[in-house]
Amino acid sequence: MIGARSLPRPLRLRRPGGWPLLSLAGAAVFAFWAGIAVFGGLLAPHAPGEFVDSWDTLAPVSAQYPLGTDYLGRDVLSRIMAGAKYTVGLPFLTAGLALFAGLVLGVSATLMRDAFDTALSWLMDTFNSLPSTIFAMVAVAGFGTSIPVLATVITVLYIPSAYRNVRAAAQTVSRLDFIDAARVRGESSLYIIFREILPNILPNLLTHFGIMFIYIALLLSGLSFLGLGIQPPEADWGALVAENMVGLSYGAPAVFAPALCLISLTVSMTLMVDAVSRRRKEP
Amino acid sequence: MTRLIAKRLLLGLLTLWLVATLVFAVSGALPGDAAASILGQDATAETLAALRAQMGLDDPLALRYAHWLGGILQGDFGLSLANGRPVAEVIGTRLPNSLLLAGLSTLVAIPVSLALGIASAMRPDSVFDRLTTFLSVLALSTPSFLIATLTVLVFSVWSGLLPALSNIDRAEGFGGTLRVMALPVLALSLSVIGQMARMTRAILIGALSEPYVETAILKGTSPLRAAILHALPNMAGPIVNASALSLNALISGVVFVEVIFAYPGLTKLMVDSVATRDLPVMQACALIFCAGFLILVLVADIVAILANPRLRSAG
Amino acid sequence: MRDSGRDPALAPRDMARLRQQMSRGATRRDVMRMLTASGMTIAAAGMLATRATRAHAAAPQRGGDLRVAGSSSSTSETLDPARFGKGTDYARGFMIYNGLTRLDGDLAPQPELATSWDSADGRVWVFKLRSGVTFHDGRPFTAEDAVWSVLRHNDPETASRARAYTGAIAEAVASGPLELTVTLSEPNYDLPVIFGTFNLMIVPAGTTDFSRGIGTGPYRLTEFEPGVRSVAVRNENYWKDGLQHVDTIEYFGLPDESSRLNALRAGEIHLTTGINPRSSKLIERDRGIELFVTRSGTFSDLYMQKTDATVGSEDFAAGIKALLPRDVIRSSIYRDFAEIGNDQPIAPSMKYFDDGLAPSGHDPEKAVYHLKKAGVMGQAIPLVASAGVGNTLDMALILQQAAQEAGLQIDVQRVPVDGYWSNVWMKRPFGFGTITQRPTADMIFSLCYKSDGPYNSSKWQDPKFDQLLLAARSERDETVRAQHYADMQALVRDGAGTAIPVFFSNIDAHSAALKGLEPIPTGNMMGYAFAENVWLDPA
Repeated sequence: MIGARSLPRPLRLRRPGGWPLLSLAGAAVFAFWAGIAVFGGLLAPHAPGEFVDSWDTLAPVSAQYPLGTDYLGRDVLSRIMAGAKYTVGLPFLTAGLALFAGLVLGVSATLMRDAFDTALSWLMDTFNSLPSTIFAMVAVAGFGTSIPVLATVITVLYIPSAYRNVRAAAQTVSRLDFIDAARVRGESSLYIIFREILPNILPNLLTHFGIMFIYIALLLSGLSFLGLGIQPPEADWGALVAENMVGLSYGAPAVFAPALCLISLTVSMTLMVDAVSRRRKEP
Repeated sequence: MTRLIAKRLLLGLLTLWLVATLVFAVSGALPGDAAASILGQDATAETLAALRAQMGLDDPLALRYAHWLGGILQGDFGLSLANGRPVAEVIGTRLPNSLLLAGLSTLVAIPVSLALGIASAMRPDSVFDRLTTFLSVLALSTPSFLIATLTVLVFSVWSGLLPALSNIDRAEGFGGTLRVMALPVLALSLSVIGQMARMTRAILIGALSEPYVETAILKGTSPLRAAILHALPNMAGPIVNASALSLNALISGVVFVEVIFAYPGLTKLMVDSVATRDLPVMQACALIFCAGFLILVLVADIVAILANPRLRSAG
Repeated sequence: MRDSGRDPALAPRDMARLRQQMSRGATRRDVMRMLTASGMTIAAAGMLATRATRAHAAAPQRGGDLRVAGSSSSTSETLDPARFGKGTDYARGFMIYNGLTRLDGDLAPQPELATSWDSADGRVWVFKLRSGVTFHDGRPFTAEDAVWSVLRHNDPETASRARAYTGAIAEAVASGPLELTVTLSEPNYDLPVIFGTFNLMIVPAGTTDFSRGIGTGPYRLTEFEPGVRSVAVRNENYWKDGLQHVDTIEYFGLPDESSRLNALRAGEIHLTTGINPRSSKLIERDRGIELFVTRSGTFSDLYMQKTDATVGSEDFAAGIKALLPRDVIRSSIYRDFAEIGNDQPIAPSMKYFDDGLAPSGHDPEKAVYHLKKAGVMGQAIPLVASAGVGNTLDMALILQQAAQEAGLQIDVQRVPVDGYWSNVWMKRPFGFGTITQRPTADMIFSLCYKSDGPYNSSKWQDPKFDQLLLAARSERDETVRAQHYADMQALVRDGAGTAIPVFFSNIDAHSAALKGLEPIPTGNMMGYAFAENVWLDPA
């Protein structure tokens, strides 16, 4: 349902024929983080759980520790690099899964009978009526805080919004003439889905994927703040911000570095979403 | 129109029942119970058994469900397991606080974001528009707990302008209440403003390119007038709908604000009740959130229908 | 942050050494090390190292509204002493109630609602009660109230958290209007100490609804909302003189540490608790905020259950005890606000601590020898830990690292704190517990090491130990008693399946205007009894 909102026209600074420059910059930043997510664990100078300096905690930037040390005396740079796989990977995975499930359900609802559509839509709205942080909190309290549980809970949480979005888009498309034409031609449902509906709602799906990615990344960081996210010694960036919060008023890089990384990630995703949604609107 | 609302209300009740059952089932699956939570490390088999019997935790799940649902139908939410007080009373002291917080935040967020969104849409790509877009993206990309803590640092610890804790029960008079509420409302509205301003701008830019608006502008109406008089009413539906959704996000954000400002609201109560396995309170809170959301969506739909005559016959 | 009277003031020789060190540019850590090594308490050392000089506390000032933030907040907060379980409850308890006795900085019982007590055989105890004391509702305090407050713990329906140590109370009767006679099923010379603990505070006879908080204490409750806040005003009819300096006390929980510190720095609260040692470095930079450190006997223990095939062997326990890098735990987790432990639960600050017992050191070679003998090399040993139980998760990670270096694979399994005490602790064979300071050696040993003790987490059974425990409890001769306790410490250190790496201090933070705090090791903020003792200095 979040996807029901459309996005603003992109900024004018643009490359002729392609994405605006800012969106390209966003894509570059995102690609950088995706790279860190894959290889960060290998490249990190220290193990994320290693106590590099157990006395001089929350240390400032230094040559030895470029982003200082955290509240336990661990290397912040290494922890950010190792945490990228969660902050980038988990939203990517769960948004993808939710989108896939939403796609299957949404397209079925479009093609099936009205009763099925109504029942499914109602069920999805019911799920959606529970505030996500609170729902996640209860579920995590019940099933523990392992990564599979987190991934499942978040996926389940975002299926309704993905479903809403897919269904709305698919219904618009399915009312168009060329679908009727395909039906008249006697094409199978699968053909219609894959050759006619999917390609036409793809930009919409990508936009929605990006928006879910941002929301999930923020939700994860919020859960970490409440102590319900990724468990130590591993940490996503939100957890890094939360666990070093005491250092905030003292300007400790242990707080600001992961916060800036997180913001750069979500902003880069927003910029990419802008570019995709603009292309969608253009004929 | 009335039929539509009646139908929606009925469906809403059905949804509430489903949520209630769902929440009951999930809460039954939580490890540990209220008795173990209260006695903690000092539990002995004997005291634990006595406490469980007192709380009625020994009854089979189905019986507890029937009892609980029957109670709710009579308006009785039962007793809190954590402190033995009636759930209605516990919630009664917290709900007004949460409504106040959400209400004030909405009062701030909606006009500000509408104004920002309209102003940006009037002059797309201007410096003002870029700045608004940049700040909006920044606001909605920052975790709400970080925004909340930063506002405390800036407005309270460093400058001493506003109180760091929202001691709403001891606030004196209207001015005192506003002072106490200022920081939580600010923290909460920032991210909502970010989202809604972007939405409004996008929707309005889309509307301004519609033929009938363009015609109006060509006829000499100023763009602002065209936007407000012609485009906006037709766009009210999507905007209100989008607002209802960001308010749902707002409820999620309230958790952090209530924890950080020690604000005695409903979400903090629910966090607590999950931790203490105080199921009656937890379930009642879930129902209230769900009902609140349903009402929001219903209001959004009604506004959309009223604003757009074409939809009126569709009900 | 004055140190308690019982700690020797810094000798002139030490002061000279300190100044010399400081003039050479010694770091705070060097100074801490030097001072604690010379036998000074952590509290005193921390204070001196933090601020080399401090003006002596001025005379108490009357007046002001005190605001205090506890470190937890829950709707299960209660005013029923039998159910007190968190610092928030204890702190409120000391505002509105009194015990029959109170524990001083040495954990010795002092007269409170009981003016004197005696027992010929440790079995039958007679307590003379204070006259002229009234409850907040005007009722006079009599022996009936004491009887009721004591006996209710033995009724399972009360669901008392003190059940473990009130079980020996066979009978309690009012032998006079102001005289309480308690008969125990077995002798116990520590009964007056038990009467000074949190759960045994005195309530009016017959109370079943505790929401009004009627007691005899220094402050009268005017507002209480569990999980939100309480407000109490000075009880003008209090039986003690010269205390109760502030007019009102507002108390509430703030679980987020950075919120607590921000509120303190913004001047909205005067006192807060549960400061992570790792924040201390930042707080020390702040003007107007002071740390208050209480040396205590609280510890987190790593238990290995004797009944388990893998971790139950003596060699495994010996190996793990030798493997624990205690100094890393002390510096990294506790920033030296802790004392190295000896795998037995009596802290150096406690009575009956046996300083003749050789310390258990970090000895990787010995560890490898024992672990090989235990036959666990090459296996992945699961260890449960929770981020919400003290700092045990950090400890688990440090142990994991050390084990890896020794060739042992420990698989740290993180579990949430909700439900930890009921579902994980003592149910899993290899894990952590946290035992807060108990006032007597007998209480700790009975709870945690007696064969049938409710917290005997390693399921250790030693008839000799049980015998010694009973003998010590009913022994009046201090020398013999001390010898018994020394023997028990040795038995536990070598026999039980618990490793106790450190005893950690309680750390609070308060505004410079708040005066009058004295360390009481049973908990933070003067063993939670700050209410009637502190004052706000307007200067």
